[in-house]
Amino acid sequence: MSAGAGLLELQDVHAYYGNIRALKGVSLSVSRGEIVTLIGSNGAGKTTTLRTVLGTVRPLRGSVTFGGRRIDRVPTHRIARLGIAQSPEGRRIFAPMTVLENLELGAFARADREAIPADLERVLALFPRLRDRLQQKGGTLSGGEQQMLAMGRALMARPEMLLLDEPSMGLSPILVETIFGIIRDINRLGTTILLVEQNARMALRVAHRGYVIQTGRIVLQDAASALLHSDVVRKAYLGEK
Amino acid sequence: MSDPGRARPLPAALLVTALVAYPFLDRWLQAQTVHAVTDAMIYVLLALGLNIVVGYAGLLDLGYAAFFAIGAYTMGLLNSPVLGSPLYGHAWSFWVVIWIAALVSAGLGVVIGAPTLRVRGDYLAIITLAFGEIIPVAIRNLGDITIDIGGWRPVERLNLTGGENGVNPVGRPHLPGVNFDTDFIPWYFLILVIGAASLWAMNRMRDSRLGRAWMAIREDETAADCTGVNPVKTKLLAFGLGASFSGFAGSFYAAKLQAITPGAFEFNVSIMLLCMIVLGGMGSLKGVILGGMLITLFDRILLAQLTFLVRWIGRSLGVAALASVDLTLWRWFFFGLGLVVIMLIRPEGLVGRRVRSPAADVDEREEALALVTAPPRPRAEALPVWLRESTAKRAGAAPALEVRGLTRRFGGLIAVSEVDLVIPPRGIVGLIGPNGAGKTTFFNLVTGLLRPDRGEILVDGASVVGLRPHAIVGRGIARTFQSIRLFQNMSVLDNVLVGEHCRLRASVAGAVFRPPSVTTEERRARSRAQEMLAFVGLADKAGEMAKNLAYGDQRRLEIARALATEPALLLLDEPTAGMNPRETDSLTELIGLLREEIGLAVLLIEHHMEVVMAISDRITVLDYGTRIAEGTPAEVRRDTKVIEAYLGKGYEQELASP
Repeated sequence: MSAGAGLLELQDVHAYYGNIRALKGVSLSVSRGEIVTLIGSNGAGKTTTLRTVLGTVRPLRGSVTFGGRRIDRVPTHRIARLGIAQSPEGRRIFAPMTVLENLELGAFARADREAIPADLERVLALFPRLRDRLQQKGGTLSGGEQQMLAMGRALMARPEMLLLDEPSMGLSPILVETIFGIIRDINRLGTTILLVEQNARMALRVAHRGYVIQTGRIVLQDAASALLHSDVVRKAYLGEK
Repeated sequence: MSDPGRARPLPAALLVTALVAYPFLDRWLQAQTVHAVTDAMIYVLLALGLNIVVGYAGLLDLGYAAFFAIGAYTMGLLNSPVLGSPLYGHAWSFWVVIWIAALVSAGLGVVIGAPTLRVRGDYLAIITLAFGEIIPVAIRNLGDITIDIGGWRPVERLNLTGGENGVNPVGRPHLPGVNFDTDFIPWYFLILVIGAASLWAMNRMRDSRLGRAWMAIREDETAADCTGVNPVKTKLLAFGLGASFSGFAGSFYAAKLQAITPGAFEFNVSIMLLCMIVLGGMGSLKGVILGGMLITLFDRILLAQLTFLVRWIGRSLGVAALASVDLTLWRWFFFGLGLVVIMLIRPEGLVGRRVRSPAADVDEREEALALVTAPPRPRAEALPVWLRESTAKRAGAAPALEVRGLTRRFGGLIAVSEVDLVIPPRGIVGLIGPNGAGKTTFFNLVTGLLRPDRGEILVDGASVVGLRPHAIVGRGIARTFQSIRLFQNMSVLDNVLVGEHCRLRASVAGAVFRPPSVTTEERRARSRAQEMLAFVGLADKAGEMAKNLAYGDQRRLEIARALATEPALLLLDEPTAGMNPRETDSLTELIGLLREEIGLAVLLIEHHMEVVMAISDRITVLDYGTRIAEGTPAEVRRDTKVIEAYLGKGYEQELASP
């Protein structure tokens, strides 16, 4: 794999998650402006891959570079400031704070304060449901609404790159559609996206390229449309008999 | 699960020999440590009692020394010539009072526990802290009080506690041929017997229906409540039983010391006891014993010896500062330092439950297999017979659930408004709607976690409004949670056993003495749990910690735990969220199978339309808390309101496309 070509590069990353050797030499690259999806079953190492990017799990071996800079030893909060945001992080919203405060916190590290109101408006346009609940405490939202809030909060950071961990989980069909539409919109506005999804069909439809991960190894990579029609993926991840 | 309390015969025999030989060896060597070791054992017994409250039930108690005081003063009051004994003209026997002390402590444990039931964590800690402060103050001030007990007794002034001066002397135990006056060895053996008996009882309690309930409360109180464990009763039992052991320790302490003063029961004692537990390993009996011994003996023996050593070094080297040092004055310094170090190196304590299990590889073969073949397919033959029978017994002609006009507000927000829903016997009803439409709130109302503002909830024809969640489980309604809520630090088997809790009968006494009825019940419960695990395909993972299971396995375990409560109606909150298509298929089959085979009624919240549409008889659609549609899957999916609010226009295409 060519090094240094992509915005985000993982080279031969090995990592433990808890007591499980979760990644065994994962290499992947995401170019500027792309949507790349990482699909695989539960426990294959999808979330661990995202965590090594953000630095909440440290690779034992291998490297993670972002914009040409090694980040696998950089503290997590600094990585966030480099322009990577993650959502929904297992819906980890700030429960005792209002929806508005949660969203404002997303913009905490930004220097361009004057652009924030416009971004807030943009996020609320994407998620009208949140507008109805701006003064409600985050913890009183339903599961799906918390999902939206976490995603909105990540967008408030106006990240260069967005890591999405199962954004469609627990959402109604219409919202799943909306969310994938939003993912496409965000991408068109210039944000590079690495998308981890259980809903492989939807993910492969919006993504440009895809990787298939199994037991901590990348076993397949191709253009998303090619993966969507490959036998292995159809059998193992799309539930076709 | 292997029983860690069941010792291997040889080490056990060695241990007993060592414990029996120790005081005689000590005398022979003239080491004079028996006195200190006996005191250490008192604190170990206290720490073991506190361990029930903190380690098992997970209730942080900062005022446990109060129960120690109550035990000691009960002995003082009833067995000392200076206090209450004038009431009766003579002191009561030690052998009687020690039981009274345990009962009084247990009773006060329940009384103190009662107001703290609603609070947890920080609030509970503060309340117990206050209680721990109140008791010594009360003891100091009750010494000078005049109680007029009327003309029927020749006593006008009754000194309850001796005030600041305390009680001196306190009567000793009497046993023919045993010298409790000048010899420490009988005291040693007496506390050894009390301690061993307490340990035996605690060990049995832990491995019982009650012990599992404590741990379930510790892990997740809401989930425990919704699995049929009565949290009020369970917590009060923890407070009461935990306190009873301090009654023994306190009364023994008073009799051995021959004197008690209020200063011996201050806040720092509570903290030291807590440190013993944390140091040794919360919830581990061996750990607590080790922690208790280390801390007390360090204080009583090691520091004194070290002082001699350092002084000797100081004299030899001619350093005046060292020659006159008294390390015992530094005890809290060493104590704190040691605790910091241990917590950094081994946060789970010296013998604690292992937080980190050894490194493991993902089982590649297993996962590869899971991808090619579907996950374990539910089979009708594997369905436990007992489940078949129990559900058959419950299934009546009345609807499994009948909800009329259910309404609940949160402040100005109407979460659920005038919702009607009927689940016929053996029915599977889907509950769908946009995120935030009130579906989970509806579940919480039906399961008793929330009280409705208005409306009726009838189960099998009888209203369950106002019942606590565990009582509703008893009526035959079980549930799972949207975000999985297992008892993470309990084994897979124990998780299912907690599910059976509400169908088991063993009492506290039964758990300790294990009469044949209890042994049989427990054996049957375990084999039932094993059958249940086999049915959901987790038989080979029975001994693993729930938190170590893969995601799909955790979902299935939660369903197994719910089924173990022997429900007539199962409420599933997004059971296939986060599952891959194959796991989803297998779960759909499982739900269908349960209905076909045992007539289990199901209410299902789900966003995977292929699941809901395939297995629901009827579907209710909520939006903004109100029912916007109700009908068969075919009717609902054509409903324009439902398409607009929930399914989306792309849904039809989605169904048609590959």
